[in-house]
Amino acid sequence: MIKSSDLDPNFKYEISNEPGGENIKKCFNCTGCTVGCPVTEIDKSYNPRIILRKALLGMRKEVLADDSLWLCASCYICYERCPQDVKITEVIGAIRAIAQREAKAGKIKITNDKSLFDHLFIDSVKSNGKWYEAGVSGMFMLKTKGIGGAIGYAPMVLELFKKGKLSIMPHKIKGTKEIKRIFEEVEKK
Amino acid sequence: MKLAYYPGCTLHGTAREYDASTKAVCRAAGVDLVEIDDWNCCGALEAIFDKELSMGLSARNNFKAQKTGLDLVIPCSICSHNLSRADTAMKNDEAFRTKIERALGEKYNGVKIKHLLDVIVNDIGTDAISRKFTKSLKGIKAVAYYGCLLVRPSEVSKFDNPENPMPLDNLIKSTGADCLPFTQKTKCCGGNLLMSKQDYAFLLTKKLFDEAKAAGANCVVVACPMCHMLLDGQQTTIEKAHNTVIDMPVLYFTQLIGLAMGISEKELELDKNMVPTSKLIDSIGKGETKAEVKGATTEGAKAEEAEAAE
Repeated sequence: MIKSSDLDPNFKYEISNEPGGENIKKCFNCTGCTVGCPVTEIDKSYNPRIILRKALLGMRKEVLADDSLWLCASCYICYERCPQDVKITEVIGAIRAIAQREAKAGKIKITNDKSLFDHLFIDSVKSNGKWYEAGVSGMFMLKTKGIGGAIGYAPMVLELFKKGKLSIMPHKIKGTKEIKRIFEEVEKK
Repeated sequence: MKLAYYPGCTLHGTAREYDASTKAVCRAAGVDLVEIDDWNCCGALEAIFDKELSMGLSARNNFKAQKTGLDLVIPCSICSHNLSRADTAMKNDEAFRTKIERALGEKYNGVKIKHLLDVIVNDIGTDAISRKFTKSLKGIKAVAYYGCLLVRPSEVSKFDNPENPMPLDNLIKSTGADCLPFTQKTKCCGGNLLMSKQDYAFLLTKKLFDEAKAAGANCVVVACPMCHMLLDGQQTTIEKAHNTVIDMPVLYFTQLIGLAMGISEKELELDKNMVPTSKLIDSIGKGETKAEVKGATTEGAKAEEAEAAE
């Protein structure tokens, strides 16, 4: 049972003020996003229409803390097919941004590992200008699977290394100061 | 033709054979690639939670390309998506442009960005490139896998029909290889879930192989390093997880047309693919001449075979 007193009517505005979330209010819940979704095909509990409907109703905490927010594979099928041009893939990105801020403030807990991987990835780009594949993947494995789990990937890592496909050290670009300035500019909301 | 070239991080790492085969094919096709100076990561799909950051990182590369005065070609579908999206935002969103111009201390005018496949099939043209083919690839039975960002969202990629594209199919056919119908051609491989939800990523990739096998394919042809990472790089892990045998080589389209151009396997780095390609190469019909390649529709080839039999 949804209690209207628990709803946050401002949530849809919060999302539409986030870059990528602008078009959420255009959604008329036709389900076109969900019928074509490849993730829904393998997991019926993943339902982008329900995420959008809950967001529009103002079920803020439920949407932000839901693991399924992190299951979108960013394949853009729903984005392409949406008759209302909601740009769903980017709306999901906008909701993820809000969820991450809430998690940082200690108000919710994100259980899905996608957020951790994204942050390790972006941190490596911030310091090197390029993504540090061996370092980021290794750190992610250690944090999510422990040493035992990470060691399981050793044969593949060795093969990639032998083929000259994996660099042990990060590649650093010359313009890391410019990268830092881009981060600073976009952080000023 | 002279173009600015943005390889992106993977082409200098796990997708090095895509970089090598891109350079080899472009050289043979008379396309001069000028790698842009000191380029950076576009943020891939890992910055999707911060649209401005994703576009800001990408925009720095567009500034670098702008300096060359050339159009920009990108072999990776994710990079191509990100840099194209950033170019549009830099032109149309004044607040965003102001931020990035302030960060980089330069004015942005715009740059024309295309995916490598788009350049090959549309700018050079499938007919023109196929005139450079010296060897028929008859014996290869491929499915064309376009994946997601090469075709979607169409407002960004501006490349053919987003649901049922045909250019890669036609390019494959022009080499004399068979290209089989494949309804999964624009379905997602789950690449973006590889690290965080591996079981889902594997299920999505396995579905592609199930249909490719049912169609009778002996290889998959791709145009994106992320798709290749899943289909080629993870194939043995998927086999183990699902207790099945897939055993299907996955070629970059540049490796395929490179073979038709007579470029050596070494130069196309076919030994760098994780799934061995030697059996597939052996399946290519031997002793065919260029004259046979020209009539290389399947029917034409069949008619020739019938004549020879008589």
